[in-house]
Amino acid sequence: MNSVMADLSHAWPEVYILTMACVLLVVDLYLTERFRFVSYLLAQVTLLGAAMLTLGQMGGEGTAFTGAFVHDAMSDILKLFIYLVSAMVFLYARDYLKARNLLKGEFYMLGLFGVLGMMLLASAHSLLMLYLGLELMSLSMYALVAFNRDSPVASEAAMKYFVLGAIASGMLLYGMSLIYGATGSLDVATVAQAVTDEGVKGQVIRFGVVFLLVGLAFKLGAAPFHMWLPDVYQGAPTAVTLYLSAAPKIAAFAMFIRLLVDGLSGLVADWQQMLAVMAVLSLAIGNVVAIAQTNIKRMLAYSTISHAGFLLLGVLAGTPDGYAAAMFYTLTYAIMAAAGFGMITVLSRAGFEAEEIDDFKGLNSRSPWMAGMMALIMFSMAGVPPTVGFFAKLGVLEAVLAVDMVWLALAAVFFSIIGAYYYIRVVKVMYFDEAADESPLEAAVDTRIVVSANALAVLYLGLFPGTLMAICNAALGA
Amino acid sequence: MSFERILFYLFAAILVFAALRVISSRNPVHSALFLVLAFFTSSALWILLEAEFLAITLVLVYVGAVMVLFLFVVMMLDINFAPLREGFTRYLPLGAVVALVIVAEIVLVLLRGFDTLSGGAPAPKPADYSNTRAIGEVLYTDYLLPFEIASVILLVAIIAAIALTLRKRPGTRHQDPGKQVQVRKSDRLRIVEMKAEPRAGRAES
Amino acid sequence: MLDNYLPILVFIAIGIAFGVGPIFAGFILGPHRPDAEKLSPYECGFEAFEDSRMAFDVRYYLVAILFILFDLEIAFLFPWAVVLDQLGWFGFWAMVVFLGILVIGFIYEWKKGALEWE
Repeated sequence: MNSVMADLSHAWPEVYILTMACVLLVVDLYLTERFRFVSYLLAQVTLLGAAMLTLGQMGGEGTAFTGAFVHDAMSDILKLFIYLVSAMVFLYARDYLKARNLLKGEFYMLGLFGVLGMMLLASAHSLLMLYLGLELMSLSMYALVAFNRDSPVASEAAMKYFVLGAIASGMLLYGMSLIYGATGSLDVATVAQAVTDEGVKGQVIRFGVVFLLVGLAFKLGAAPFHMWLPDVYQGAPTAVTLYLSAAPKIAAFAMFIRLLVDGLSGLVADWQQMLAVMAVLSLAIGNVVAIAQTNIKRMLAYSTISHAGFLLLGVLAGTPDGYAAAMFYTLTYAIMAAAGFGMITVLSRAGFEAEEIDDFKGLNSRSPWMAGMMALIMFSMAGVPPTVGFFAKLGVLEAVLAVDMVWLALAAVFFSIIGAYYYIRVVKVMYFDEAADESPLEAAVDTRIVVSANALAVLYLGLFPGTLMAICNAALGA
Repeated sequence: MSFERILFYLFAAILVFAALRVISSRNPVHSALFLVLAFFTSSALWILLEAEFLAITLVLVYVGAVMVLFLFVVMMLDINFAPLREGFTRYLPLGAVVALVIVAEIVLVLLRGFDTLSGGAPAPKPADYSNTRAIGEVLYTDYLLPFEIASVILLVAIIAAIALTLRKRPGTRHQDPGKQVQVRKSDRLRIVEMKAEPRAGRAES
Repeated sequence: MLDNYLPILVFIAIGIAFGVGPIFAGFILGPHRPDAEKLSPYECGFEAFEDSRMAFDVRYYLVAILFILFDLEIAFLFPWAVVLDQLGWFGFWAMVVFLGILVIGFIYEWKKGALEWE
């Protein structure tokens, strides 16, 4: 029994989230429609409490549950950002859902279970836990996409997401089973040991890595496994798109680090090439196709693909600096994405979706402050200094240049410049076009404050990137 | 060739045949039934691998429950399946080429040394060996965390299934036995005091 | 260990022979004289009114999927029951937590009315 307590001492945040999600589930059953906000508050309290618990165990390290669960600096930081981003998402989503009669406890339950899945991914240290964490997260997300069940577009998006996601899970599982067959262990540390030893460096494990990467790339949304992403982002209710776009990327990053770096760093030469192909394709497809979009959710979906390319660049450098740069990139991207989609929910109101780029026309005359915030987010996504997007891209490019992959860095810069066009187009539309409707924004005060804080954080992190950079370096750097 | 190997090839052949029929059968119900056959034969293959518990579970869960669901879903979709097949022949050449390329690639990779696997076949287990016991010994101790997470995934599946498909139908007539039992005479019966009507009134109407 | 399964294999073989053999024999030996009237669907002497396939209510799906979920839960109980004497209280509480999480799911579906047929 003592060993269980020792195991749990590393996993209190997970236990707490699970317990609170179950409490929320039961409490929500007995709430009348008028008191539905209690579910929202409970969800926020849950995230806050989990953040306290995680902060409380910062600095501790160790593995638990016979090596299936690891607690280290990276897992703590990633979890804190997962809570932060999810809390913002829950806030932005609240009024959007309420206006559409979708404010149900299930949104928060599934959201919290998804957060639990992401946390398990951040801490997973065996192939089995990675798979289960991924399934927990994905299952919640499939259901959330179909959340507005009267919408045919959302149902279609959920169906595509589910079918393709199931295939990707199958690929991942097949890759894992090949690696298990070659190394005889599910434990990441043992796999790493077996890979560095001679003998199992055969074709089997490389074969497994290929399938593993297909699954991972799908979940991250990297080209050429990105097909689901634009349709799902566009079809899902904006509140759900918001959820999908932010925190799961952090979990996907954790998956890459746990599998490729912790487990298969002995095969770096093999996965480096594959990641390079995927990174360049993602940058190209993401940035070029986004130009043709008129729907801003779809445009941001392609932008997600291009950001996934940058994330992969950092990982494929194969150096601690590269991993730290990729981590910095992921965390800041999650914040930017939450702000970007959050702004869409702020502009939406009952019966009106601010989904088209044209809906942002003349935002400056309707609300100069919000237009400024949106411009800030767009500049950051484009990578314009002094916003954080610039430093994130710079860090990744430095890491790539440090390992002499000049052509990759050049390709990244080239496509980023192409990409800057469509971000800046949104800014142009806001400032120089006539507004189609002059109605003032309806968003609640707390939403406005947090969206503004979120956008200003993008500027703040750009002006003072040192602290976060140092944290990432401490977690993954040399 | 040993008897076990003959059995393996027999079951494997049935499995491949059934799997092919699943995707080539015209009637979706037949496809589902061929899938049942495929599950049965793969469970026989697992028995050959001495994984009895998993073999039985496969039959219990997949044949017993999942296939029932499949059949329901096939019945639920009130669609004519013929138009769905129209694209099949059109895309067949492209699909076949892609499939062949993948198979060729896999073969090329595998021929270059898939048998680096060490160890070889494990020794056959004694007659009183219990596979179920072996699973139980590690599942609830070494794999405690994955085991509990499995229940969380099942819980999410329950929530998702109910959130997505449960609809309240207004206007359906249904009985509530509890209410029926609680009914008192005063709820249903009203005794009205009135004078007796003359007989003639009735004749008039 | 596989030797234990030999009788079952024999049993399956004989079962298939008994089940399939007569049908196959009837198919081979019986007379075949089909005509259009014989091959048409028979519905109490009437012409068939409609297609025999009809859409099921989506409520069956909910019942079936809830059944699968609890069926899976039961699959976890078998190995547990076999080794409970070795696992002791540790194994007992592990299963209590597992079942507890699913009981919450059960409360949810009961209170939501997913078990009502209306």
